[in-house]
Amino acid sequence: MAGKPQPVRVLYCAVCSLPAEYCEFGPDFEKCKPWLIQNAPDLYPDLVKEANAKETDKVANQLQSTGISSGGGDGAASSAPKEEVKRLPGGKIKKKEKQEVTIEKVTRNKRKSITTVKGLELFGVKLSDASKKLGKKFATGASVVKGPTEKDQIDVQGDIAYDIVEFITDTWPDVPEAAIFFIEDGRKVPAA
Amino acid sequence: MFKKFSTEEVSAQNQVKASVQRKIRQSIADEYPGLEQVLEDLIPKKSPLIVAKCQNHLNLVVVNNVPLFFNIRDGPYMPTLRLLHQYPDIMKKLQVDRGAIRFVLSGANIMCPGLTSPGGSLDDEVGAETPVAIMAEGKQHALAIGFTKMSAKEIRDINKGIGVDNMHYLNDGLWKSGYIVALATSLSFAAY
Repeated sequence: MAGKPQPVRVLYCAVCSLPAEYCEFGPDFEKCKPWLIQNAPDLYPDLVKEANAKETDKVANQLQSTGISSGGGDGAASSAPKEEVKRLPGGKIKKKEKQEVTIEKVTRNKRKSITTVKGLELFGVKLSDASKKLGKKFATGASVVKGPTEKDQIDVQGDIAYDIVEFITDTWPDVPEAAIFFIEDGRKVPAA
Repeated sequence: MFKKFSTEEVSAQNQVKASVQRKIRQSIADEYPGLEQVLEDLIPKKSPLIVAKCQNHLNLVVVNNVPLFFNIRDGPYMPTLRLLHQYPDIMKKLQVDRGAIRFVLSGANIMCPGLTSPGGSLDDEVGAETPVAIMAEGKQHALAIGFTKMSAKEIRDINKGIGVDNMHYLNDGLWKSGYIVALATSLSFAAY
């Protein structure tokens, strides 16, 4: 092995996979903290201090609670609510998708048009069933189409923009009229 | 470049002919003289070398399921960050100041002022259009791999705009795709 440069072993964080020293710039520094305290205390001296302060509090708390329950429940309870916030790769918090149905009229060939309905699936409506129902009601072709951004939408042939609101609210009572919007000239207009 | 990258983007991967393999080895050896001694360990002559072709004319050199190098079209081969971490001295290094880390880690190109400010440093031998390792102020390991747009001298003189294109950075798609493999190897390290 003489003269051969040995590979450097880099300490990677088990939580965010970055080298430990970059955790502070990683997607979720908070989550890495406990791991860092255990595995790389010398990189973040401040953290350890902070943790020690907390630890003393915890020990005091636990001393009180051990009389009532065993320590196991404690960890599970604190970790569960953290999971709810979905994180995008950039560290931004994902917005919860708004439950709304948007209806847009797209004209083709001057006097023919297509009505697209987006967002029905957010109300637990099966799109294939919905398209069939729409087609039957308006006696036109209706199909489930992969829209932009990987979302399914229903395309219905013909301009049915005005009747469709009533039909949606009648067939699926879960969908409130207030959650239905038209798109007119690129602006959202509530249907109600 | 690898901001969004996953195994799905590999359009074709095939084991290359021995002659091509030799060519790849040769060009890597030419480019990174520091690697010569370990090249046999990295890319054993006997084991199959796989080149994965991806979108945007991107090629990945994969050995034992580990991506080691990538290049664009017929451009120079660049090591992946995991490899660079192991052998940090194979590339010329540029250092950015602390303020820039955050942006580089979200995929930004490296601007000249970040390299010329007190926290950054420049290797004067770096010419234009060469792959470089991007280090960071106060950190030990590289955080990105870049491709210079201007030479070190020009970066100093112009001190404006993009100095180095960010090719591959920590926690981008390519980094993540290697994550599972890295986990396995670190486990086998632990077994020693």
